[in-house]
Amino acid sequence: MFADFKSDGFMYCIILAVIIFVCMQALFFLKKAWARGKELGITTDKLKNAVTSSAIFSFAPAIGIAVTVITLSVALGYVLPWIRLTVIGAIQYETTAAIAALEAAGLTGGISQPVTDPEIFSAIAWVMTIGSILPLILIPIILKKIQKGVSDVASKNSKWMDIMTAAAFIGLIAAFIGRGFAGTGSSKEAIIGDGAGVLSLTAIIASVGFMLFFTLINKKLKKNWIEALAMPLSMVLAMVVVVLINQFLPELAAIEWRY
Amino acid sequence: MNKTYMDKVHTWGRIWCVASLIFFLCIPVAISLHLGVWPRAEIVGKGLAAIAFFFVTGIVEVVAYSPMLGAGGTYLSFVTGNIMNLKMPCALNAMENAKVKANTEEGEVITTIAISASIIVTTIVIAIFVVIFALNPSFSALMSSDTFAPAFQQVTYTIFGSLAATYFVKHWKISIFPIAAVTVLLLFVDPGIGVLIPVGVVLSMLGAHVMYKMKLV
Repeated sequence: MFADFKSDGFMYCIILAVIIFVCMQALFFLKKAWARGKELGITTDKLKNAVTSSAIFSFAPAIGIAVTVITLSVALGYVLPWIRLTVIGAIQYETTAAIAALEAAGLTGGISQPVTDPEIFSAIAWVMTIGSILPLILIPIILKKIQKGVSDVASKNSKWMDIMTAAAFIGLIAAFIGRGFAGTGSSKEAIIGDGAGVLSLTAIIASVGFMLFFTLINKKLKKNWIEALAMPLSMVLAMVVVVLINQFLPELAAIEWRY
Repeated sequence: MNKTYMDKVHTWGRIWCVASLIFFLCIPVAISLHLGVWPRAEIVGKGLAAIAFFFVTGIVEVVAYSPMLGAGGTYLSFVTGNIMNLKMPCALNAMENAKVKANTEEGEVITTIAISASIIVTTIVIAIFVVIFALNPSFSALMSSDTFAPAFQQVTYTIFGSLAATYFVKHWKISIFPIAAVTVLLLFVDPGIGVLIPVGVVLSMLGAHVMYKMKLV
């Protein structure tokens, strides 16, 4: 666990500080929003539901994010990727930033080799950090103006605004669903599962199917817990279906129509 | 919306944002001081130049996502990342369950609560599993093995499939065009998800606007 300079006690102190900072911020906003929710007359059940369903929903993707730490751990140890994937950034950005810094230092092995030079490790940390902080500079300056603009439009024509808001969400969802149907893989190599194919289609159909199933059950039973758990359960059950297809029908699972 | 509460959200958010910015910049400073070595500016400069595209997507994300996330949700999400694959679906699901609309104060409260809860759980779960992986390399090998890796590779589709079921059933008329348009676009070019999302959002909003004008919705 404390293999070398990339994973020494000092690095673990940094990640501990990051975890405390991030959780403190989340708790701060949670407390303030909860109090405002009570003032607005939102029921305690609805507020608790928002917490419970989000917490349960986040569990499986969080494990997925932790697994992606492994990808970067060969080159960077566990701690720096852990720090980076806890704060702003996602695996595709962090991997690209790490490779960019390595290549800028003249190393062409990518992230498959351990970084042994402290200067290069430090350079990677700088590139990953600086490359991701622009939103933190922009948001304090422009967010209030954006929110005011949206609020002004909403007050003039709320029906149109409702449709546009739904359309925006649908556009976001369509981007991912479309990728599941016809997106190409993320690298030039033929890696099973990263382009559109049987597995991505299975994931989409299974999750849609399970969600519709739980929605229908909830219409009959009208239980809060079904509503709260429907999405995370649909997600996890769809992941199980993907694992089963991959295990028991591997030739089918390997079919991809986009690489 | 109640101006006092929203004004406070922006004040708190700005303070936390600036604090986060300073804190995150201190991390590479601390690493450099601890290792006793500072990277050459040319290496950092070249590295940043290679990822300049992410500066553009960063701006686009702030403009595109903040109306959907709400103010509190935006301040929180851009500190912890994983917005498209975790924070955004959390916020959408929470608003659906609570039956509140985005761009209302109720929506603001619910998305903030949902994203806060998600951040705490995600941070703790990542910590637990990374420590397990560091202590037990064979467990990390198992999680990234051919048995379980496909599940995590497809997790984003399971998230958005579940969301799709809710949204497309309610808004099927305005859903057909964006899904078809994005799928057809991808047959010719895949610009990557960072570009595809704003393209999908713009196409969807244009299509919905046309249908609204034609009184089809």
